[in-house]
Amino acid sequence: MVAQFLGLKLRLLANLFRRSPWRVVGLAIGLLYGLAVAIAVVVFLITLRFVGDVEVIRTWMILVGSLVVLGFFVVPLVLGIDDSMDPRKFALFGVPNRSLSFALAVSALIGVPAVMLALVLIGTVVTWSRGFGETILALVAAAILLATCLLASRVSTGLAGLLLSTRRSREFSGVIGILLLVLAAPIVVVILTIDWGTEGAGILTDVAGVLGWTPLGAAWAVPADASSGDWGPAILKLLIATLTLGVLWLWWQGLVARMLVTPGREANLKQYSGLGWFDRMPHNALGAIAARSITYWGRDSRYWVALIMIPIVPVLVVLPLTIAGIPANYLALLPVPLMCVFLGWTMHNDVAYDNTAIWLHVASGTRGVADRIGRLVPALFAGILVIGLGSAISVYFFGDWAALASVLGVSTCILLAGLGFSSYTSARFPYPATKPGDSPFAQPQATDTAAAIVQSLSFAGTIILSLPALIFAILGIFSDPAWHLAALYAGVGVGLLAVCAGIWLGSRAFERRGPEMLASAVRA
Amino acid sequence: MPPNSQPDETTIASRGDDAPTPEEVAAAPKRTPRKPPVRKTQAKSAENTAITANAASTADVTDDESAGPAAARPAAASKTAASRTTPSKTAASKTAASKAAAAKAATAKSAAATAGAAKTAASKSEATKSTTARLTAAKSTAAKTAAAKTTAAKAASLKSAAEKSTAARANAAKSAEARNTSAEKSTAARSAAAKAAAAARARTDKTARSVADSAAAAEPQRTAALAEAPGRTVAERHGPEATTMPKVAETKAAETKFAELEFAEPEIFEPNIAATETAVLKIAEPDIAEPRTSEPTAAPDVKPALKPVAKRTPRAAARKKPAPVDKSAPVVLSVSNLEKRFGQNVAVAGVDLEVRAGSFFGIVGPNGAGKTTTLSMITGLLRPDTGSIRVHGIDVWADPLAAKRIIGVLPDRLRLFDRLTGAQLLYYAGILRGLDDETVRSRSADLAAAFGLDDALGRLVADYSAGMTKKIALACAMIHSPRVLVLDEPFESVDPVSAVNVTEILQKYVASGGTVVLSSHGMDLIQRVCDNVAIIVQGSVLASGTIDEVRGAMSLEEKFVELAGGRKVAEGMEWLHSFSD
Repeated sequence: MVAQFLGLKLRLLANLFRRSPWRVVGLAIGLLYGLAVAIAVVVFLITLRFVGDVEVIRTWMILVGSLVVLGFFVVPLVLGIDDSMDPRKFALFGVPNRSLSFALAVSALIGVPAVMLALVLIGTVVTWSRGFGETILALVAAAILLATCLLASRVSTGLAGLLLSTRRSREFSGVIGILLLVLAAPIVVVILTIDWGTEGAGILTDVAGVLGWTPLGAAWAVPADASSGDWGPAILKLLIATLTLGVLWLWWQGLVARMLVTPGREANLKQYSGLGWFDRMPHNALGAIAARSITYWGRDSRYWVALIMIPIVPVLVVLPLTIAGIPANYLALLPVPLMCVFLGWTMHNDVAYDNTAIWLHVASGTRGVADRIGRLVPALFAGILVIGLGSAISVYFFGDWAALASVLGVSTCILLAGLGFSSYTSARFPYPATKPGDSPFAQPQATDTAAAIVQSLSFAGTIILSLPALIFAILGIFSDPAWHLAALYAGVGVGLLAVCAGIWLGSRAFERRGPEMLASAVRA
Repeated sequence: MPPNSQPDETTIASRGDDAPTPEEVAAAPKRTPRKPPVRKTQAKSAENTAITANAASTADVTDDESAGPAAARPAAASKTAASRTTPSKTAASKTAASKAAAAKAATAKSAAATAGAAKTAASKSEATKSTTARLTAAKSTAAKTAAAKTTAAKAASLKSAAEKSTAARANAAKSAEARNTSAEKSTAARSAAAKAAAAARARTDKTARSVADSAAAAEPQRTAALAEAPGRTVAERHGPEATTMPKVAETKAAETKFAELEFAEPEIFEPNIAATETAVLKIAEPDIAEPRTSEPTAAPDVKPALKPVAKRTPRAAARKKPAPVDKSAPVVLSVSNLEKRFGQNVAVAGVDLEVRAGSFFGIVGPNGAGKTTTLSMITGLLRPDTGSIRVHGIDVWADPLAAKRIIGVLPDRLRLFDRLTGAQLLYYAGILRGLDDETVRSRSADLAAAFGLDDALGRLVADYSAGMTKKIALACAMIHSPRVLVLDEPFESVDPVSAVNVTEILQKYVASGGTVVLSSHGMDLIQRVCDNVAIIVQGSVLASGTIDEVRGAMSLEEKFVELAGGRKVAEGMEWLHSFSD
């Protein structure tokens, strides 16, 4: 039974290589990268064997190790990983629950994360091989850790499959992930405010001490404690770790039993009345497509992620810069252009988001212009809002109202140029995107180089087209305020040109390549 | 032909016409919500019956014509009932019931006084689940409840018929003869019927089935007896035919619920039935009319019933579409030498098709034969490697915009914009097709009503069931009233009631000059609905033409299996017959 499952998992992995050459290359690069990282870590761990300061090693080992365990549990939950070994797929074979659970758990050993983890754990055994007892304990702890991490990921994958199986909740899972990110921000701030130079080491040691007694860090602390001579705590923590593993095993068994008889949940049905945005937009193809796009931005979690990322990105960029000591008033000018970059860029694969539903446009003979402009409408609305409000706020914090023209110019240029590129690339070079109804984080395994090229080119192209306005704006700030107006004119002019050109090219591509767009959606 | 029968015929004819006409059907459902389903079911049952039985039709017809309606009625009733039953379930029972009711009414009228004091009790379909029922045409005039019941004869297949009582057949035959015979006979028959009716009433209601059954059984016999004397000669003549027809056999009287219907109601039902039947079967004499309206109610009932029976057997499918191939109609879709390959894999290897305006063209083929690929290329969704496609004279790949305007598309296995509600999706499709706001709204409402999607319009399409998704997509395909509808697997996962509904819509569309090209795995459906068919296997058209041309002496399914490589003999599966535990 176990052997069969292992064989199945191996075969599934091997089949990953039977796809298009580019994907295989991407996969191979990913594997090599993972392997390289693991080996580097192992080498590092081996060198630690010869470091005498056990306390420092212990602290870091527990901290990092706890994060690893937590990661194995949380990542599948947030990302909603597609589970090739979902217990439900074996529901009809009539395998006893116990052996099915065991076989599934063991088959989790085969997989990139598991192999990397196993390598690293072997490294830790070397690190702690400072005596017979310590080595034995380290080996046992490593085995427990491996089992714990794999079971944790199985359990959380199962939970995700069980609880988040409906379309709507699947969508929400992505949003939950973002919320977690946002919630993590204060913690980051707290961490950043600590004066690491003086009290850092103490705090870390304290945290590690506490974590060592929790299921997350207990197993990591066992050999460390033993090496420090604290055999009593080491045994106790070994007990905690074993208990954790036992609980996880029971949980996993229960979960499998439950999943086998839970094929999926019914979604709650919500009634909408009227035509929504379709009533409010012009009653022609352009208006309808715009209304459809706006509706999707509101209802489809894949768009929410893009929208939520827009305010988060500036925070992520500005925060470190603040810490680096760059004056806040200059930084105040950054968020609006940054948001515009993302707003324009999110649209660059819009057609692929429709997946095969695009057939309706193709079969209707929709005019390219209507499609292109219609899709831009929500981004334009959002952009106008961001630029209008954001620029004022930015400049208020910057302190010099003359810079308003520059901020407006640069932002407009970036937004419009981005939309122009998006108009063309989404019609001409669609690449596989997250399918409708999937978790917004579940990227298709498209390590397509084409995708990478499209992404980077449209991104870089936007920046390049905005360079004139950007340069004028910088001159305006640092040299002569007269440049501000030049930045505005240049920005708006270039932006308008870019967006018009993009729409024109995109329309032509859309009309000529309708069937090809559909074909690429079918392949995705 | 007796005077009576003529009016009937005309009426029937008119009904027949009506059936296809959209207005009536459309209108009727709105007024009386319940009825539409009934009709549909009836239609189905009628079709089914048609398939099963054939023979008797001629005999019946003659009978009707020559003889008084009275005698004929019982027999007819039974036949009808039988035929309907076969199909099964409620539908069957409904039809049976309704017909029975009609018959009853007829008898009652004729016997007692045509005058309508008598009300027909219609057994409601729901009520009758019954089954093998035999329909007795008893109808209580005064007492409605009573009911008589119908029994649906299980005409079922010839098989049952065969087994069934020969006696029953004989009876039927006799009764038929009786009709022919004439006044006396008819009277006799009527009286018999009346008795039967009476008996039925007595048993009625709760006494229920057993009683009903027996009664039912008894009735035919009586009638037969009565009829016999006079009618023998006739019987002999019609003998063979008569025998065939009766599938009478088992009685199942289900009377659970008899609803009393006023005259109007029964009429409504019947016409539908009649219409459907006629339409479907294309009987030689369309005229058979329905009974109720005209006093000879009974007669009419009989006729429709008989006809369906007769026709069914052989070519039920072909009949409906009377003019399978109108060679004079312009070619609205012509595909020549169409090829498409995906890498090494040749999906479509030189397909040629010619579809004339006003035809209902079916494309069948095994899995992976290239049907979807072909239809995708026709609709401009997939670029062909070589070959040309002209729709109404426009080259689809040279002038896609113009061509797409006149094509309605239902693709298979492509997504919809499912984050929109049903209403939004319909509206979206309509606007993209260039319709104006007002038109789209009114057509959306019509389509939603026609497809039974009213309640679902406010929900996201993503939450629809597979069948509903198919229906909304179908609605989207039609909203711009295209000249040609290209439908890929339109009935997949659509429930039978909706499928009949959709079929009806499509048939009306075709009748008004539209052209439907559809693919399906349902041979039965294709044979029933389409007038032309092409069989595609491994990317090539192996046969094409009218259904009759393609299938020859076989059924379409047999022909298809033959062309597709024959039935694979499953060997080495003996282990399957010894169970593992």
